[in-house]
Amino acid sequence: MAETIPSAQSTEIRPTGEDNVIEVLDLHVHFFTTLGVVRALNGVTFKIPRGRVLGVVGESGSGKSVTGFSIMQLVQHPGKIVKGQILLKARKDDQPINILKYDRHSQQMRNIRGNEVGMIFQEPMTSLNPSYTVGNQIQEAILLHQTPDKDEAWRRTVDILRRVGMPNPERIARSYPHELSGGMRQRAMIAMALSCTPSLLIADEPTTALDVTTEAQILDLMRELQKDIGMSIMFITHNMGVVAQMCDEVVVMYLGRIVERASVEEIFYDPKHPYTVALLRSIPRIGLSKGEKLEVIKGGVPDSYSTVTGCPFHPRCPNFMPGICDKVMPAETPIEGNPHHTVRCHLYPGSAAEAEVETSGLAPGTAPAAS
Amino acid sequence: MVNYIIRRVLYMIVTVFFISIIAFILINLPPGSALDAQIQRLRQQGGDISMQQINDLKERYGLNDPVYVQYLKWIGGAIHGDFGQSFTYNAPVGELIWSRIAVSVILSLFALIFAWVVAIPVGVYSATHRYTVPDYIVTVIQFVGIAIPEFLLALLLLVFAATVLHMDAGGLNSQQFQNAPWSWAKLMDTIKHIWIPVIVIGAGSTAWLTRVMRANLLDVLNYQYVQTARAKGLKENVVIWKHAVRNALHPLIMSLGTALPTLISGEVIVSIVLNIPSDGPLFLASLQTKDMYLAITFVLLQSVLLVVGNLLADFLLAWADPRVRLE
Repeated sequence: MAETIPSAQSTEIRPTGEDNVIEVLDLHVHFFTTLGVVRALNGVTFKIPRGRVLGVVGESGSGKSVTGFSIMQLVQHPGKIVKGQILLKARKDDQPINILKYDRHSQQMRNIRGNEVGMIFQEPMTSLNPSYTVGNQIQEAILLHQTPDKDEAWRRTVDILRRVGMPNPERIARSYPHELSGGMRQRAMIAMALSCTPSLLIADEPTTALDVTTEAQILDLMRELQKDIGMSIMFITHNMGVVAQMCDEVVVMYLGRIVERASVEEIFYDPKHPYTVALLRSIPRIGLSKGEKLEVIKGGVPDSYSTVTGCPFHPRCPNFMPGICDKVMPAETPIEGNPHHTVRCHLYPGSAAEAEVETSGLAPGTAPAAS
Repeated sequence: MVNYIIRRVLYMIVTVFFISIIAFILINLPPGSALDAQIQRLRQQGGDISMQQINDLKERYGLNDPVYVQYLKWIGGAIHGDFGQSFTYNAPVGELIWSRIAVSVILSLFALIFAWVVAIPVGVYSATHRYTVPDYIVTVIQFVGIAIPEFLLALLLLVFAATVLHMDAGGLNSQQFQNAPWSWAKLMDTIKHIWIPVIVIGAGSTAWLTRVMRANLLDVLNYQYVQTARAKGLKENVVIWKHAVRNALHPLIMSLGTALPTLISGEVIVSIVLNIPSDGPLFLASLQTKDMYLAITFVLLQSVLLVVGNLLADFLLAWADPRVRLE
């Protein structure tokens, strides 16, 4: 791990002066499998301002979850962060620190996990340990980061359970996960992630496994707690409806790259990238007349071992322009008149600027031998 | 809970009762008995035995009765702790077994502890370092451990102990302590000898348990809650031992249910090869000589241990996993 970091510093990108809880700069994550190298992230850059909710949207395999796990430095073997910086600024007046400088097993990194950055997962049924009570598992995090006093930690455990809307929190704290429903377990997970009042919460598809009623309740709860605590949320999802409900800003990912970023209004009312447009068209809508087919994005996400030349979306793109889309990797360019809305597509002027620097999929010299 | 225990114990009594009937019938099925063998021996020694004498002997041992009468007589005694008479040893069965049971239990208990103490850490290491050189080495040793016959391993260790360590291997004691009463010196001497049978008896189950531990932990490590524990900021050691291993122990606990009966007969071959005065060789001899009451008492004892062992394993499992309810 450590040997990959110097390359990250050699291409140091200056942090912006704004108050961002997290800034991810040019992040590359590769999986060194026996079948070859899978390039899961190919230079992902984004930032989350303090107190804001960023939606990370994309299909399965687009690198959403890997991005989240990278911030925790919990990318599973054989995955490795090969390049990039992750700058964490936990408090308003802190200096941003590049957490990739820390070894993933180091004390500093463990102090960040669960304390500065909390995480909740997709599967509430399996994300709590069946052998320990809910209270025990939440208390564990509090004891680790906040107070060595067991009674105090238990009081805070019950408090946070009450705060996530658990009826009879004392009893819930003494219950085992299998005694709770899916929605209750997700509440317990949220309580655990928020028990140390982190400045950033990474929510990896937290409502995908829940029914819509429970989903709505959980989303309301997260919005409410987010305002109360003033934390930022990185909300990973493939559900555009959830994005509309939760997020302030959105990044759309495709094959390990961000293809469009904008405010939530612009994403819905003025999507630029053909992939975003297609994603939005594939949402079922009330009022769609009977028998009318829902639009789908043609084709599938390409095999992760192969590399597509040019724009990675071109084989599936309805606006495919031969000669350019399949040859040149488009650069991220701001939309005219709106510097905060950027898109990575040849339909928009300025997209070929970076073309020589970067070709799709291949990031020469950045991949160290798998160790 | 009390209801549950009472119910389980009742089931156990019924089970053991049926096992005793079946075992009794099975052991009576082959022709001949220990008495025949004894008569044969007397004849070969030149003694002339009349039909009258044979009949007297048969009458005395109750061999002329129908099988069910024999069974009822025996089980009636067994309930009161009288397991009948051994033909070959001319001694009460209970006494014969009890005089050797301490050695059997100590041997097997140590072997069991040895297996667990080695298997859990090695299995955990193997799983957390999957596909590394040490994991491959452990895997090879495991397969050898499972495949190697006990008697061969016993012989190898005997040779090793005799040639390399220059010790008087074999048996449980050196020559001078063989028939000595128990004393501090004899105890030390026993400890010096006991490691060979413990390793031999434990080798197979150690290898198997390591394999099970590795496979199961690999499964558990993929569960989301392991990642949750890491995301909390716990040390990797705590993640593995507190959150993963605890959930990977189930098959090991269940294997304890079948471990109790092996306490008295699991070491048959090893005890014969290493000349250890335990119950195992006695059990084998009783079957060979058709020493009916001795053999059937062994069978009964093992079935009792099996059902008790399973009950204990169920309790242990309920203690280890809150999802298991005893009802």
